[in-house]
Amino acid sequence: MADEMKMGTYICTGCGIGDRLDASQMEMIATREGKATYAKTHDFLCSQAGVDMIQADIDAGEVSNAVIAACSRRAKNEAFNFQDIAVSRANLREGVIWVRPDTDEARETTQEMADDYIRMACFEAKHMHAPKPSDEQSLNKHLLVVGGGITGMTAALEAAKAGYPATIVEKTGQLGGMAGRLAKKIPTRSPYANPAETEVADLIAEIEANSNVTVCLNSTVAKTEGAPGRFDVEIATESGSTSTIQVGAVIQASGFKPYDANQLPEFAYGKTPDVVTQAELEDLVKAANGDAVKRPSDGKEISEVVFVQCAGQRSDKEGHLSYCSGFCCNASIKQAMYFKDANAGIDTTVIFTDLRTPGSGGEDFYRSGQQKGVVFTKGVVSEVEPGSDGHTVKFKDLILDEDTAIQADLVVLATGMLPNSGVDPYAAEKAAAAEEEEGEEADKGDVVATVDVESILNLDYRQGSDVPQLVHGFTDSHFICFPYETRRTGIYTAGPVRRPMDIAQAREDATGAAMKAIHAVENAGKGRAAHPRSGDLSYPTFRKEGCTQCKRCTVECPFGAINEDEERYPTFNESRCRRCGTCMGACPVRVISFENYSVDTVGAQIKNVDMPDEFDEKPRILVLACENDAYPALDMAGQNHIEYSAFVRVIPVRCLGSVNTIWVTDALNSGYDGVILMGCQKGDDYQCHFVKGSELAHTRMSKIDDTLQQLNLETERVMTYEVAITDVQRAPKLINEMAETIEKIGMSPFKF
Amino acid sequence: MSDMNVAMVERYRNNFLKEVEHNVEEGDWVKMCMQCGVCSGSCPLGPYWDHPPQELFMMIRAGKREEVLTSTSMWMCTSCYNCIVRCPRELPITHIMHGLAHYAKRLGLAPKEQPTFKFSQHFWNNLVKKGRVNELKLGLSLYFMNGLVEGIKTSLNMAGIGLGMLKTKRMSPMEMIGGHSVKDTKGFHAMLKKAEEIEAARVEKYGKGS
Amino acid sequence: MTDIVATNQTILVVGGGISGITAALEAAETGKDVVLVEKRPFIGGRITQLYKYFPKLCFPTCGLEINQRRMKANANLSIVTMAEVTDIAGSTGDYTAIIKISPRYVNENCTGCGACADAVEAEFDNEFNYDMDKRKGAYLPYNMAHPQRYVLDPRVIGTADADKAKEACKYGAIDLDMQEETIELKAGAVVWATGWRPYDAGKIQPYGYDRIDNVITSVELERMMDPFGPTGGKLVRPSDGKEAKNVAFIQCAGSRDRNHLRHCSRICCMASLKQSTYIREKYSDDGQVTIYYIDIRAIDRFEDFYKKVQDDPKVKFVKSKVAKIEEDKASGNPVCHGVDTEGYNRYAEAHDLVVLAVGMEPSVDKDNFPVDIVINQDGFIEPDDANGGIFAAGSASDALDVNRAVQHATASALRAIQIVNRVAGTEG
Repeated sequence: MADEMKMGTYICTGCGIGDRLDASQMEMIATREGKATYAKTHDFLCSQAGVDMIQADIDAGEVSNAVIAACSRRAKNEAFNFQDIAVSRANLREGVIWVRPDTDEARETTQEMADDYIRMACFEAKHMHAPKPSDEQSLNKHLLVVGGGITGMTAALEAAKAGYPATIVEKTGQLGGMAGRLAKKIPTRSPYANPAETEVADLIAEIEANSNVTVCLNSTVAKTEGAPGRFDVEIATESGSTSTIQVGAVIQASGFKPYDANQLPEFAYGKTPDVVTQAELEDLVKAANGDAVKRPSDGKEISEVVFVQCAGQRSDKEGHLSYCSGFCCNASIKQAMYFKDANAGIDTTVIFTDLRTPGSGGEDFYRSGQQKGVVFTKGVVSEVEPGSDGHTVKFKDLILDEDTAIQADLVVLATGMLPNSGVDPYAAEKAAAAEEEEGEEADKGDVVATVDVESILNLDYRQGSDVPQLVHGFTDSHFICFPYETRRTGIYTAGPVRRPMDIAQAREDATGAAMKAIHAVENAGKGRAAHPRSGDLSYPTFRKEGCTQCKRCTVECPFGAINEDEERYPTFNESRCRRCGTCMGACPVRVISFENYSVDTVGAQIKNVDMPDEFDEKPRILVLACENDAYPALDMAGQNHIEYSAFVRVIPVRCLGSVNTIWVTDALNSGYDGVILMGCQKGDDYQCHFVKGSELAHTRMSKIDDTLQQLNLETERVMTYEVAITDVQRAPKLINEMAETIEKIGMSPFKF
Repeated sequence: MSDMNVAMVERYRNNFLKEVEHNVEEGDWVKMCMQCGVCSGSCPLGPYWDHPPQELFMMIRAGKREEVLTSTSMWMCTSCYNCIVRCPRELPITHIMHGLAHYAKRLGLAPKEQPTFKFSQHFWNNLVKKGRVNELKLGLSLYFMNGLVEGIKTSLNMAGIGLGMLKTKRMSPMEMIGGHSVKDTKGFHAMLKKAEEIEAARVEKYGKGS
Repeated sequence: MTDIVATNQTILVVGGGISGITAALEAAETGKDVVLVEKRPFIGGRITQLYKYFPKLCFPTCGLEINQRRMKANANLSIVTMAEVTDIAGSTGDYTAIIKISPRYVNENCTGCGACADAVEAEFDNEFNYDMDKRKGAYLPYNMAHPQRYVLDPRVIGTADADKAKEACKYGAIDLDMQEETIELKAGAVVWATGWRPYDAGKIQPYGYDRIDNVITSVELERMMDPFGPTGGKLVRPSDGKEAKNVAFIQCAGSRDRNHLRHCSRICCMASLKQSTYIREKYSDDGQVTIYYIDIRAIDRFEDFYKKVQDDPKVKFVKSKVAKIEEDKASGNPVCHGVDTEGYNRYAEAHDLVVLAVGMEPSVDKDNFPVDIVINQDGFIEPDDANGGIFAAGSASDALDVNRAVQHATASALRAIQIVNRVAGTEG
């Protein structure tokens, strides 16, 4: 940093801080020990007057790095929102006075706590720089849409309508995808009574008329390089020619493949042409071109149609899908209506276990089906027995509790959808983990779409060619609050590749994904992070001289943001990066850092607490807490005046994944008696918003026991916990338990 | 099998649901049932039904014609309307029950020994004579509907009440001879006859409903 | 409040629940000016009152923390709480909205220290906990309330408590003279995200919600699980505080029912499956759950979760709409009466507690909507060209779970952006 650093410390004495703590002592510590240029006290720092005081110093060039010693960094952000300077916050309210009793005997240790937080904030500020956008950014409003089905077409059109041009790459010779195969669709508008036009033709016409949408048919994506704002996409046509376009973001709308009904011999699929899938019935209806659909085997009039729901779905049987495809109940009602609307005399029976027609439209459509005379029978079909004139569908009627059978001219199997999601970058890893867990048991019933897996995006990423998959091959993020977040920044998946869905949902999904893609290009253009640290301008850099090319950062980055160059040095792609710092935590030689978050900003805090000697009976406990969950939980403990040990010093971290083990060993070496890491839930239902951070931290910490033993320290001194934001009572308890443990096992011998 | 029964079987082949839709009062609602069972659970006489309403509806859809029409179940309905009030699909269940009973009777399939069935017949027979219900005769005919011995027993049991009613002039022994009637008995019978003709013609013609 | 600058390139988002927050943030972070109007004193909506989300069993406040941080960091976004849109005039690309702001009696000076709450004595039913407990007349609605600013209940104004609160505040944050305010805002497009309310269980007469203490609603159970909720996180019966170990869930309580809500509320099956894990979490093998259902609608990947619960031997599924609930006076147990339709079995099951999985009623004021809009018979806003630049988001459009509401709101944000970009002439 060329500019000279000027550090100002501002101490608030409001909210009882002044009554409980010695502010002048804190001022002295800030200037003497924290090396602040000056320290000022205000009795209401977040007031306009207080803020003006700080702003005046900034405007006068008096301060480049500020310490705000007041309430939690989560409070009063609107007031303490200063541009272009580095700010560290010492949490004297929620983190000190609110968690300590207001008693004479507590006064000394409470003051020590506050003093340490002043020191820590000063040293953090000292190592921070105000982040500035890098030069990598550029605004490219062009979007790539992979897949020309209803999802892809909708995404491209909706983006174009907002002024973002889109290029659709479609593998086949025409737009429309699976929806193009349908005769009609499930209605998407009130009164939800009849099958509706698919609107595929209208969409195609709209696309052809829109100069902002380019369509590449018979094309695939041969290569995707770069990062949000600067993707280079190589498009290959069937004829072998290639072209390259630059896009800002990617929407993957690669759709689904229908389940292979040949795996259902029990339903006589393949044994008679009169047993068809829902998709095949659409073909028959389309081919009949308005005339009655005839029995495929002999062209006879159809008088009885039976729909078998959940065919090869919701089942643990080998080769079956364990999940529900969601659309099929409504689809069968729609198809039964094809027959009923043409000739009310045709009997149509839907055999189901749970009729799943949710929402406002679903229930209406179900009722409309009943109104038209579609018969719904709760039952489980065991077998379809082909006959020469009609077939026998054997089933258990669950209401009448009996095994029975029904005759059918045509049997329609409601088979499910398989995501067309490409190659899972972590398939091998997952398989290994599953095997380790419990042989084949672990993965039972989870037949992922292993049907001729071809890459969709051909990403030129260190971590695989496609977007990571969650379960069953779907690319869903598993974040309830943030459904679009894939693990590849600037690439959003939409439609049935993300999770099973019908046309109505796919069109919503496509529009949402287009929004996210636009969000991504706009933020990439400004050098800002996308989700979840939206707006963050900091990004990782590394000191090449120190790098040993160990590749840990490139392997562990949960978002595949880091590639390797020819010499195997990491190349950081800023706009792919989510700024979690997992790379920083992974680096064994500590060469990776952010402007305002680094091994030093945290390391210096750890080292600069005042460490009482062994005989003082004042242990020190370091807590590294995830800033999104554990830290707020501790804040709320403060809000509720839940007490915890005065011996603790809490440092928020961006993610537990960013915790470098050096911090833990440094802490132990400098005399801390205990260290607690608090991160989010890991595993299948991970709550870590950087997906892998917490898990990686747990793995890293599992190896720290060796270090502890080498140092001759008890392993109980370092604990790693999963702490949720709601653990307002538990988090303080964990701290107090550590204090008790230390009382039991004694102080660390590493005090100076 | 009655002629009419044969005719219906012929007309609807195996499709009992359609037969019910066409011939049973409010029968076209049967298809709207979603098998939640709230009707069956709400019926105060529920425990006495072989097949509660929702099950009857499923049996109709499953084509169990014989079982449904010969069932005593729908005869159990006392028209309390609990089921109608609670049915989430607003099926007029009470009416469908009576419709089914009526239809079964028309086809000659109704269970002859079912007490409601028997009572209804006695009531009707009593009523049509003079256009007024003769309570004394109806009462006695009910006492004796299950045979002489039981009739005497029941009569003795009810003797107290009967005497009380006589005393308070709530019942006249004179009713035993003739009894009172509507003003124009002849006209009343003509009306009934006409109604029967209309009904028969409609049954013959049937398009829909009943 | 009045310093909000809005133009016909501004997007007005009505409703600050998860859908409104999502739409507002996506648009604001894309560079649009957004004004978010919320009726309650804090944003977050219904999700703040949920204990866990299905199917991950994670905590709603976790994602909310991220969203709140995004909001604090975004200069394009203005939030107006305790405010309602009373009228919208104009047309696509050029709307004027009238917004009524109720007095909070606490201004921006509030530091969230809580001194006013300590000083005030009056207590009122706590709407955040569905009136199951009391809160002070000066209060922070819940731990994570954003803005982190206290509220004075209007009922304390003019009482001694109001003066006590004012006196206790050292920062001049209590303003007892605050008046209802009406402001006018320009907007190019409007995102309508007013969400839903739980169906009034008292209307389902046979279930006796208003008569039987131990019949509660699913939303109340969510509050009971919260360590800061009305029971301190204890799963106990309202009548006697006894542990509720044998719990029944009644599905479609008000949904799929022409007497109540005609539509399927979509979320309730999953919500009850989720809540069945609460009982097992609290009482492990002593917990016993019965779910009375018509169809279990655990669609798509939720099936995995359903299977997990089905595999639990302590959870029983009965295909039946319960006919009525009666109270066993001696024990206080609610007794469910009905017929298991799978094979016709009558039951009269006594439970410690019965939870009504109440339906989702759209909070769309059909008869009094501030502008012409197409509303379907279930009360949801239909997507229609006639709606112009007004777009529903989340459960104002259909019965949606959180995930789908967010998905829908993200799409709605783009629809609004399309309009304001057209106004700005930047749509290309």
